[in-house]
Amino acid sequence: MNRFWGRFSKNKSAVFGLIILFLVILMAVIANWIYPDDPFRLAGKPMSSPGTNGFLLGSDTLGRDVAAGIAHGAKTSILIGLLATIAAVFIGIIFGALAGYYGGVIDDALMRVTEIFQTIPSFVFAILLVAIMKPSIEIIVIAITVVSWPAVARLVRGEFMSLKNREFVQACHTLGMNDSRIMMREILPNCLSPVIVIGSLMVATAILIESGLAFLGLGDPNIMSWGFQIGAGRTMLRSAWWVCTFPGIAILITVLAINLVGEGLNDAFNPRLRERN
Amino acid sequence: MKKRISFFTIITFLFLGFSAYAQKSGGTLVYLVQPEPPSMASYISTSGPIGLVAPKIYEGLFDYDNDGKIIYVLAESHSVSSDGKTVTFKLRKGVKWHDGKSFTSDDVAFTVMNVLKKFHPRGPNSFREVTSIDTPDSHTAIFNLRNPAPYMLRALSAYESPIVPKHLLEGTDIKSAKLGNNPVGTGPFKFVEWKKGQYVRLDKNKNYWRPGLPYLDRVVGRFVPDASTRTAAMENGEVLYAAYNAVPNIDAVRLKERDDISVTTDGYSMINPVALIEFNAKEGPFANPAVRRAISLAIDRQFMIDNIFFGYGKPATSALSTNFKPTGLYASMPNYPARGDIASAKALLDSAGIKPDANGVRIRAILDLIPYGEDWRRAGEYLKQVLGDIGIKLELRYEDVPTWLKRIYHNYDFVMNVNYFYQLPDPVLGVHRHYGTDQIRKGTHFVNSSRYSNSELDELLASGATEANAQKRTQIYKKIQEILARDMPVVNLFELQFLTVYNTKLKGAYNSALGAYASFSEAYLD
Repeated sequence: MNRFWGRFSKNKSAVFGLIILFLVILMAVIANWIYPDDPFRLAGKPMSSPGTNGFLLGSDTLGRDVAAGIAHGAKTSILIGLLATIAAVFIGIIFGALAGYYGGVIDDALMRVTEIFQTIPSFVFAILLVAIMKPSIEIIVIAITVVSWPAVARLVRGEFMSLKNREFVQACHTLGMNDSRIMMREILPNCLSPVIVIGSLMVATAILIESGLAFLGLGDPNIMSWGFQIGAGRTMLRSAWWVCTFPGIAILITVLAINLVGEGLNDAFNPRLRERN
Repeated sequence: MKKRISFFTIITFLFLGFSAYAQKSGGTLVYLVQPEPPSMASYISTSGPIGLVAPKIYEGLFDYDNDGKIIYVLAESHSVSSDGKTVTFKLRKGVKWHDGKSFTSDDVAFTVMNVLKKFHPRGPNSFREVTSIDTPDSHTAIFNLRNPAPYMLRALSAYESPIVPKHLLEGTDIKSAKLGNNPVGTGPFKFVEWKKGQYVRLDKNKNYWRPGLPYLDRVVGRFVPDASTRTAAMENGEVLYAAYNAVPNIDAVRLKERDDISVTTDGYSMINPVALIEFNAKEGPFANPAVRRAISLAIDRQFMIDNIFFGYGKPATSALSTNFKPTGLYASMPNYPARGDIASAKALLDSAGIKPDANGVRIRAILDLIPYGEDWRRAGEYLKQVLGDIGIKLELRYEDVPTWLKRIYHNYDFVMNVNYFYQLPDPVLGVHRHYGTDQIRKGTHFVNSSRYSNSELDELLASGATEANAQKRTQIYKKIQEILARDMPVVNLFELQFLTVYNTKLKGAYNSALGAYASFSEAYLD
């Protein structure tokens, strides 16, 4: 672990990303304490510019506090990002493991299913799913999961295919271990590092998809999110720039931080890859 | 006093004479038509964009000025018999269709009986009492009515009831007639060309029955699908006139600051859109009228207008729009405060026995929102907050149009819904459909979805529709409004104001209550 951290911390930008990410998570956690009120509350004079009327980052057309919205939006973004990623990784591992380990007909069948999902552009697919179901936070998580898992499945399948013929796996076979035990206890831990890397990047993608949906008005209308704030403020960009600028910056920094961390993880897991560069 | 009036009259006449002198002939008016019309058949469709073009070509018996007074167009005069059951129109002589044939009373009879009454969306309602039309000579049309129908006289504009040529429609299938896309009317402009996706071009009718008119040589309606391109076209003077929010409010507010561009809310009083909340008055938490009254009290109507609709709107003060003032039907009612009154609303709920629980919540419900864009979402977000303050905790639901229509008007699967209705030029045409027991029509859109039913009100509505005496009618509608202010199956929020953005070069285009749905006959370029 120490060696891993040592390799990770060698990458300065990854550490920087981690700090930012930590701050965003901290903001999400303490949002309920620093802004205990509903972020949709009409807190004061509409269209106040930043720093006036007691609004740190200004207020929007209805007098909602932009800063409160960003703090509570962090909660939504992090939550959706994590839930969707965990679900997608879980599904992806099951599909990929079965396809890669057994090969043959099972592989063909599972990969054809995966390809169906991969051929549809993911954001358009997510819009479609949310549009035909009621826009709620559960549906959004499901939609993001559905469009994200195929990448994990492909990756895991490849890892399983290359690992299943290694000596240590063959040794397990001769010892009489059953398939599920070999997959779960022996092969999976050996292919986790790329999964963790792709998973971390998927969190960023999930946040972007959620923001995009909310921007288009397909978010859960009862939950504050960054994308919603931008969508609601974009018509008055000329008269109240702060309404969509600050949430936009929040999305930018968060996604950037997660990507930096993901890159750092990649380097830390594959030190030789880094030295090659 | 008398002296002063005559003095003002003289001044007014001087000005009138002056401005008549200043009107110039010639020029092309380019204006925005948004979106592109599906056809030019204004006699079978009330689709908005058709109304922007067709009334320049077809005319009605009447037009109406900004105060709602009748302007005679194809009719020269009219008279209503003392029992209200016979309406006689004297028609204008010497009017020719664009193809050269003469306009006669046969055209009027054919239009009303064979076209509008059968195929027009609102015609069956406007002319429902008309049993037959007599044409004793070619310039007299006598409408025989089953019952008096005062509202019919408000539905005779070129937009609502265009008079079409009998000789081109008779014997054809009205719905697919060639006339639909090649309109031939009596109006100031002749149809020339419709380039799909680009523009529709109309040229001056040189044989127009009003001598010297129209002033313009040509009128071109352009179709521009993108909102910011429309704004830019207005900004650089490429187009001179944009009605029905073709230029979005947010841009209109900005353009208004320029010297050469103005904005008006006139010209929509015959449409009369009113934003409102419909309740399920039959079951669920809002079946109790006291709750609905409390909601009406809590809402800050002016806040919604100022912050969501950029100041364009007028707080509702009754079930009827203030645009019914000229006809004497509007009466101001209590229970519609312009500024919200949270304390009174809470007190009303308390006295109705609807107490808050430990979390301060009295009622939990879902608020459905009309899926017509961002403004309505903002309205829902505002209502959620303000009604939360009086203990009504709402969840917002925003669906696509077909799902929403199905939920509200087919399945009645809602308790509270934000919507807007056109009240049209007479309550019989636009308001009755919202409250009458006979208007609980499962599967028909924009009727009585509250399923509110009150036999006393039904009787008043029936007599309001057939009462010919204006004063008695005023009394009937006052009672109607009192009942509706008490029971509130629908809470009116505010009168929506659509915007017309125009270049100040264009003059004389703003005299009709129909606004952009009028003819441009007196419009000229300065």
